[in-house]
Amino acid sequence: MNPFRRTPPRSGPAVEQLTRRLAECPEEFLLEPRLAGSTDGHIEVAAVVADLLVALGSPEPEAKLSPQAVKVWTGTSPGDRNLLSLTLVAAWLCHDRTLRELGGLGPAVRRWLLEGLPPLAAVVAPELFVSDGDRREELARALLDALGLLPAGETQAQSADRLRALSSVERARVIEATRAQQQRARELREQMASERARQAAARYSSE
Amino acid sequence: MDLAAARQCFPLATPAGLQNLERLRQHPDAPRWTHLVGDHVRAEDLASVEAFRASAQPAPAADRHQPPPALLDWIVRTRARVARWRALVPDVAVLERDWPSIPTLRREDLAARIETLVPEDEPLERLIVYETSGTTGHALRVPHHPRAVAQLHVLAERALAWHGVQVRRGPEAVACMNLHAQARLWVYPSLFSVWGEAAFARLNLSPRDWPGGMASAARFVSALDPGFLSGDPTSLSELLRLDVPARPAALLSTAVALAPPLRRALSERYACPVLDWYSTTETGPIACSKPDGAGDGDLAGLAILAPDLFVELLDPEGRPVPDGARGEITVTGGRNPYLPLLRYRTGDFARWMAVTGPDGVVEWRLADLEGRAAVSFRADDGSPVNPVDVGRALRGRFAVLQHAFTQEADGSCRVVLRPASGIPVDPAQVAAELRSLFGNGTPIEVSIDPDLGRGRDGKVVPYRSALGGAHPP
Repeated sequence: MNPFRRTPPRSGPAVEQLTRRLAECPEEFLLEPRLAGSTDGHIEVAAVVADLLVALGSPEPEAKLSPQAVKVWTGTSPGDRNLLSLTLVAAWLCHDRTLRELGGLGPAVRRWLLEGLPPLAAVVAPELFVSDGDRREELARALLDALGLLPAGETQAQSADRLRALSSVERARVIEATRAQQQRARELREQMASERARQAAARYSSE
Repeated sequence: MDLAAARQCFPLATPAGLQNLERLRQHPDAPRWTHLVGDHVRAEDLASVEAFRASAQPAPAADRHQPPPALLDWIVRTRARVARWRALVPDVAVLERDWPSIPTLRREDLAARIETLVPEDEPLERLIVYETSGTTGHALRVPHHPRAVAQLHVLAERALAWHGVQVRRGPEAVACMNLHAQARLWVYPSLFSVWGEAAFARLNLSPRDWPGGMASAARFVSALDPGFLSGDPTSLSELLRLDVPARPAALLSTAVALAPPLRRALSERYACPVLDWYSTTETGPIACSKPDGAGDGDLAGLAILAPDLFVELLDPEGRPVPDGARGEITVTGGRNPYLPLLRYRTGDFARWMAVTGPDGVVEWRLADLEGRAAVSFRADDGSPVNPVDVGRALRGRFAVLQHAFTQEADGSCRVVLRPASGIPVDPAQVAAELRSLFGNGTPIEVSIDPDLGRGRDGKVVPYRSALGGAHPP
């Protein structure tokens, strides 16, 4: 959700169209991505993304990947695996017919792949965005939101509410905040029960 | 003395200070000390005590119903660190626009969810705890900080100065003794770094505490010559009854209302000012009597003492009561880093009274303070029984939710109990527990009423005594 967006969003594809597409994600997109310097993986993520951006209507020079983007999409450590896998699933999603017909979405898609996916990859296994109904809907809605497109048949408020309810990143943040609160409450209770604290300090009067 | 232990208790202690402490510890008439309790004051704490001392005396507020701008800023800063405050004040603009709409907090909030009221980023290493029993409700544990406790000394200096009394300082002096009259109590000697390592002692005026009986208590207090004595009216009336030959420069009467006849008797016997001191563990000292009311202190009311507390008198809806009407004393601000106060209801009631000084300046004071009504009980041998001990006897061993305890003029006692549901209370056991306080010669009647306190207002008077308040013996 981009709080600074001023213009009313264009209408995009229906959410169901995108979730169906995710459910039908071909197995090749779920194969292990190839990490730089390794021969284990099967898919060159940077190549898949470059093809995608051209298909989405990026002008040829812009479709060329920056050195920083190449670094992200070639991956170097096993820790990058989740993000690369999710990028492949997302690339399949972005090949949606309606999105390609809208045209000119290349730069926005590239930004979403680079900035929108890492927080998701950090908290959800990439396979779930294909196998789990809620995660498919979350990824579809996150994409439409990032592209400034309103899901067909929905109002802006409905779509914002639904995305907030599904947000894995928000849920992870709430869980982490709750965990920190509980930890702090436990420390406080322990301190207050300790012999040292109960000895307190001398006061000239007691109330 | 174990020097390492002493260093832990008194990080700033000098050899002269430790010698002062030993004077109390090893005195031939000393009580059976149960603990050694330090002030835990560090060098950096002394600087903040100095800063607090230099802060202004409470000035007449521009608007008595609106916190001053500096306090509003403090609330905004503190709100960012306290979960419960963010829930109570969702929009900071309301602080200035509609202060009376800010919800109030009370004792029960501290008891139930203290973790939501302690600032989230405050380091816990120096946390200490005071337990306050109160005469109503359950015991409450209040988190506190040695630095904030050290700052309380400034308020005693200020109140004593109103009465022309200087605090006794230095490693040859005993600044203060705090007197109690209870069945069981921690008693200890200590030092106050804030007052140049002047000594302090917490004492129990109960024969069991003194190897040489009450005669040695009298000799101990008289020989060590404390600068001032503090205690609740029950303890101070015990001081009179025992005729302890002390020469304090002032007496500080705490905890509950001081009956005028007792104040007069104390002031005549000890030829010194008797200060009526209003303080709670949660808030620290709030107000104190001024000498202009010496003839009739209760009519003159108590002057606000702490410059960093915003005091309101509120109706049940959180609105300020009209001048002259009774309202609940409610406090915002303070200096305890573990318990900042936002519209905290003390459970005590008073009305505002304007007193015009000789300079023509109007000072608003707290008058007719209630909720601190003193109650005193007597055992069959005439010795005093503190309501605090009765509360402990009733709630310490039995699952009692509420109680109404009455002592008649003939000394007989009645208590009605509301037990926690599903946990039976044996009246015979309760009576036995009470007899350990009141003696076997006291008739005691215990009854159970599951509906106690379920009346319309839910209020129960926990203690009544036909023997009256704490009067001069």
